[in-house]
Amino acid sequence: MFELSPHDLFAITLSAQVATIATLLSLPVGFGLAWLLVFSRIPGKSFLDGLINLPLVLPPVVVGYLLLLTFGRNGWLGGVLSQFNIQLIFSWKGAVLASGLIGLPLMVRSIRIGMEQIDPHLLHAARTLGATNLGTLLTIVLPLSLPAMFSGATLSFARSLGEFGATMILVGNIPGQTQTIPLAIYDYSNTPGGETQALNLCLVSITLSYLVLLINEKTLRRVRSRQSV
Amino acid sequence: MRRLLPILLLLLCGLTTEGQAATVHLSVAASLTNAFNELISAYQQQHPQTRLLPNYAASGALAKQISQGAPSDLFISANPKWMAYLVENSLIDLQQTWTLTSNSLVVVGAITHKLDSFTDLLKLQRIALGSPVSVPAGQYAKQALERSGLYAELEPRLIPAKNVRQALLYAERGEVDGAFVYRTDALLAQRAKILLEVPQSLYNEVTYPAALTRQGEQNPDAIAFAAFLKTDGALEILSEYGFVLHSLH
Repeated sequence: MFELSPHDLFAITLSAQVATIATLLSLPVGFGLAWLLVFSRIPGKSFLDGLINLPLVLPPVVVGYLLLLTFGRNGWLGGVLSQFNIQLIFSWKGAVLASGLIGLPLMVRSIRIGMEQIDPHLLHAARTLGATNLGTLLTIVLPLSLPAMFSGATLSFARSLGEFGATMILVGNIPGQTQTIPLAIYDYSNTPGGETQALNLCLVSITLSYLVLLINEKTLRRVRSRQSV
Repeated sequence: MRRLLPILLLLLCGLTTEGQAATVHLSVAASLTNAFNELISAYQQQHPQTRLLPNYAASGALAKQISQGAPSDLFISANPKWMAYLVENSLIDLQQTWTLTSNSLVVVGAITHKLDSFTDLLKLQRIALGSPVSVPAGQYAKQALERSGLYAELEPRLIPAKNVRQALLYAERGEVDGAFVYRTDALLAQRAKILLEVPQSLYNEVTYPAALTRQGEQNPDAIAFAAFLKTDGALEILSEYGFVLHSLH
């Protein structure tokens, strides 16, 4: 029997919304960071690289707890934001922050690999023809990184869909407000007789994530075949 | 790799057989963590040859693990519902169950909020509780709110948390004005203070049923540890952490 309650449907919409916004917001950030790591000559590059990758290897609970300390009502950034009437804790915007941050390393990784494959001769040629730094960035690096950006976006989208640990600490588990698919599944799996509902949402989760990975794989294949031509 | 495989298999066998020597697997509700750590070390001083392996988690998660065949000799639940679930699924014999201890529900928060009666909760803007769907403490809290007729009005202000300790964390950090937690958790709080004792008439008695599982009934060390839990010494350790057995039976 496949039946979803209004709260389940809300959780599905919210998950999609949070993952989409988190991905869109982290795209420019990921692009900028990958550019810094590949092309810039700033000092402490490996330190920056490590910092960006931390959310990938840290327990999500740690990320969530640090976010709570920073963006909570009494946190130093939370206090600043509340003056602009922005409240991240216990709101879906906090879920965007948490899942975006957790997905960011995957995004940066993909874009970085794409950028490293750009033929340096192209960049030299652009320079000798008089292109500025910004010009090279916009006319060569950006268009050639697009497939990698797309691939990074799908990965980070999929990761955002599944984010649980950090999200739950920062935004709680409020049905109809901040409860995403994984949080709803957690609730059901801890309820006597909640198996069917948990499994229904698991099915939705598997389908969504699988679709995203399929799209990711397809674009990667297309990129590869274009490169080999 | 192919040459390494037999060695790995041997190692694996070594690990599993070692685990069977006088080992007792305990599945204990997370709210009992601190008290049980002390109970276990007290028991092990007398019985150094027994290995006690505690698994602390939400009662629901533990019950699910046991019903899926996870090794467990003794189950201590924070909620009679989950014990009943395992009895129904004949993984625990009803004869084996007893009430280990009990607890009560309080509201904690910053001392600046003054609550004189339960209806004063309406003064608070945000109230955390364990998620009423999965956390027993949250279910008791919801029950109290419903019985007092405040639930409809307060529902939009409730912040369901993963477990009681997370609700307590929100209160400690000042993210919420108040949080429903067990008295025993409130005693561990550093900054948050008890603002209100929830009247017992508003919610069911919070009891911690304990039982040997079908597996534990066959394990002499598990039986010995269960007997130890009923001694005055063990009950005294529990009461140091605020767990008092109300003599209602």
